[in-house]
Amino acid sequence: MNCVELQQSLAEAEDASGSEQRAHLMACPACSALVRELNLIVAAAAQLQAADEPSPRVWNSIEFALRQEGLIRPQRPVVSSFSARWGAARWLVPAAAMLLLALGIYVRRESPPNQLAEQVSVTLPAANPSELNDEDLLQEVADNEPAMKLQYAENLRQVNESIREAQGVVDESPNDAEARRSLMDAYHQKSLLFEMAMGRSLP
Amino acid sequence: MTEPQQLKGTESSEAELIERAKLGDAEAFQGLYDKHKRRVYSLCLRMTANTAEAEDLAQEAFLQLYRKIATFRGESAFSTWLHRLSVNVVLMHLRKKSLPVVSLEETTQGAEEDSPKKDFGGEDVALAGSIDRMQLQRAVDSLPPGYRMIFVLHDIEGYEHNEIAKIAGCSIGNSKSQLHKARMKLRDLLKMNRAEKAGKSRAG
Amino acid sequence: MVNKRTAKLVAIGAIVAGTLVAESKKEFHFAVGPRAGVSVMNPYGSISVKPSLNNTVVVNAVLHSDKVEVDNNQNGNRVDIQSHLLAGADSDSGRVDYEVLVPADASITLHSSTGSLRAEKLHGDMSLEGAGAAVDVRDVSDAHVHVKTMNGPVNLDNIKNGHVEVDSLSGEVTMRGVNGPLVQVVSTSGRINYIGDFGNSGEYRLTSHSGDIEATIPEWTSADVSARSVRGEVHDDIPLQPKNHTFFSIDKGRAFAGTMGRVAVSSTVVLRTFSGKIHLRKRSENK
Repeated sequence: MNCVELQQSLAEAEDASGSEQRAHLMACPACSALVRELNLIVAAAAQLQAADEPSPRVWNSIEFALRQEGLIRPQRPVVSSFSARWGAARWLVPAAAMLLLALGIYVRRESPPNQLAEQVSVTLPAANPSELNDEDLLQEVADNEPAMKLQYAENLRQVNESIREAQGVVDESPNDAEARRSLMDAYHQKSLLFEMAMGRSLP
Repeated sequence: MTEPQQLKGTESSEAELIERAKLGDAEAFQGLYDKHKRRVYSLCLRMTANTAEAEDLAQEAFLQLYRKIATFRGESAFSTWLHRLSVNVVLMHLRKKSLPVVSLEETTQGAEEDSPKKDFGGEDVALAGSIDRMQLQRAVDSLPPGYRMIFVLHDIEGYEHNEIAKIAGCSIGNSKSQLHKARMKLRDLLKMNRAEKAGKSRAG
Repeated sequence: MVNKRTAKLVAIGAIVAGTLVAESKKEFHFAVGPRAGVSVMNPYGSISVKPSLNNTVVVNAVLHSDKVEVDNNQNGNRVDIQSHLLAGADSDSGRVDYEVLVPADASITLHSSTGSLRAEKLHGDMSLEGAGAAVDVRDVSDAHVHVKTMNGPVNLDNIKNGHVEVDSLSGEVTMRGVNGPLVQVVSTSGRINYIGDFGNSGEYRLTSHSGDIEATIPEWTSADVSARSVRGEVHDDIPLQPKNHTFFSIDKGRAFAGTMGRVAVSSTVVLRTFSGKIHLRKRSENK
């Protein structure tokens, strides 16, 4: 068996355990190194299994769709303490939990509004969700240039106002699917603001 | 990254979660998601090399699973069922994008042109020691789609060649040969990366 | 002997010399294969991406001081460029302006908090993000285009067969000649302008909480259109065939819904605001 034949044989017998393969490997440092390197790669591949985590929006979208399709019962209110459990990324929890608190759902895609209207129990948060963790966001951007800090503060004010307005209409008409969607979009925008605040950082 | 709300009280077994999910229990759905999200998402990410697409596909995989959960009778492991479903979701998506992905036969033609040509002055750098996860991740992301798929399914996710042949609609022999080529390609990519780094540190 | 006046002048000169921006230029070249991935992370400064003539990524960087470095890394078909701020850097001294050439099928990810983000004449997927960044994307086809800004204006021009998703909290979003299977814009207070034909039998969703939405389309557009504002006014200059069924009540002045053109090949258009105005305008045929 020569080197070319050895390499061709690796496709069939990956572990190079055949007698001819072993004999060649003992005599050929180059092929021996090749097999070693390929084995290293295979061993390292296991590190990539379940190596990554999806963002919170994935679960939020799934939960919304399940509710919309009637596969899930409405959850009881989840009151999170928003404590410092998550350290520097703790506003990601309220950013997602705000959505869970108010409606238990978060959506990016359009859903047939009549199905939304069939959902019951819009659970209202214990505290005004638009005030939760705003200080954390402002703290995070405190190192920014003054103009940018002002922009963050102004956008935070606007998005909180949009949440309050949309919530008001939902309170008046819980079955108004468009109003509910406006509220969900407002929460999504606030999540985006938190993401942006977290995304920038000085050394 | 944040974690969705964890189940209160003692952790439920998977069988219990499945039965509760069949009854529409929200926490059970979430518990199943928490258990399997990393595996599903990582699979989607490795196959598409795109985080936005991977998230969409992971979402779709779980939704399809939950829609069918009432029919799950426990004939196979739940994780196996979810995994197969996830692979199908990704493959369908890649087919819709008309990417030259699924037909493994196509990778034989494009492979050589795909490989970026580099001149390292004739020096070969050994791939010794351990391989950095991020480097390997990037190298896998750089593989041509057909090679990437086979490597992900076999070496990362643990599918056997007969299973891959059924999933991808190719022969077992083809699956084996493409896997070998994928590994050789990865070896080249990793060695190129190391040689480049070695060259930089010498120049620096 | 140096008198006081001379010493003062020397001192002033030294200070001026020291504060003059120690600008430097760097250039990097990377050979890549098809569908390369290129990312540029740049806290301060602009990034402009155009197609290269061959399978090469060329990065030209202008560094505005010595308080910032450019890290570059290539792993196979992926190139990562990052502006690395050193101690004491701020938005002026930490600024880097990039001009990048990439193969037209490359996927790009651009991030800058303050600078402009530009991409043109490409057909790989792209993600452009920055809190205050002004985003400009033009002459792109067959690509996913994802944009996220806080208050930066967004201009999309001639995006064909695109999957377009824009999130802009308060920046104005303007789209000219943008069509594809999905075109979606969500804003809190930003104005959304669409000038085009809602083509490709796609799904178009334009949503702003308090910003106005204005869509200017030709009379021959084929679309299933619905518009609704919870508190704002809606106006429709184009006659629509009323729909028999809608998911919401058509309150005159607050909503309209109907079809136009050929239903068989029509797009779905959804215009929504909470308090902003919605106006569906007819494009003049002379344009």
